[in-house]
Amino acid sequence: MTVKVGDRIPDWTLDRVTPERMRTVAAIFRDPNPVHWDREFSQRVGLAGRVVNQSPLNLGYVVNALLAWSGPESLRRLRVEFPAPVLDGDRVTAGGVVKAIRSQRGRVLAECEVWLDRDDGQRAVQGIAVVELPG
Amino acid sequence: MVVSEGEMRALIGQAFPGGTYRIEPWENFLLTEATGADRLPEGLAHPIHLFHVPIAGVGVGIADLFALAQAPSDASVTIDYYDWEFFEPLRESLRYAMRGGVRDHERTPHADGTIVDSLTYCIEVLAESDRLVARATFRWHFWRFAE
Repeated sequence: MTVKVGDRIPDWTLDRVTPERMRTVAAIFRDPNPVHWDREFSQRVGLAGRVVNQSPLNLGYVVNALLAWSGPESLRRLRVEFPAPVLDGDRVTAGGVVKAIRSQRGRVLAECEVWLDRDDGQRAVQGIAVVELPG
Repeated sequence: MVVSEGEMRALIGQAFPGGTYRIEPWENFLLTEATGADRLPEGLAHPIHLFHVPIAGVGVGIADLFALAQAPSDASVTIDYYDWEFFEPLRESLRYAMRGGVRDHERTPHADGTIVDSLTYCIEVLAESDRLVARATFRWHFWRFAE
């Protein structure tokens, strides 16, 4: 695998974010926030009855893009923010671009700008990732 | 509900009880499936576990963190950032130890009277012999809207 600055991480797309998966994740996380599983609550707080995807799940899509590109054990760091929510029914695409490559204690690390975009163009996750490249 | 800045700043340095956590294979299966990915090979746990494993493993829950910050409601909490460091991949069926606590607090008053308390937490995930496997640093906002 030859990687250079400017290389794009191949896009990873989820065609439809589903409330069923959010409920599974809410149970595993023991997350009490009803915005993730209660449509009536979501209606009351102005989200038109659409439940809100958990932020770690949004981050999970970015992780999937990274691991598909650089390998299942490659992730070293992720630092991200969440400028916009993802709601059930959204289609999302994760991607990234290599910004720097450096060596550290015999390992080759790629620092990447990463993101998750909704289909309406809104950026839902943005940040940096560091992955170790195969030797 | 008025929460004084002093009460919030008193949380800085507070350590969580600590404890252990084992990622069960069924949990890894369900959580990985929820991300839309195929299961990772050789017992690797999906990195998304670094959200809830440190919290549960350190002996608290998300609801406890809400209560600690005196969150006005579950829906009053938003996330600022996550900073996840992996020194080794997480694996299912291994028991990890956790230690951590509240690292920082910042209060931001808004012109309309809303106050945002932002708490930064840091939790380390350790394997046998105290080997550092991962570190989760994250900051949550607690919104206190003017009445």
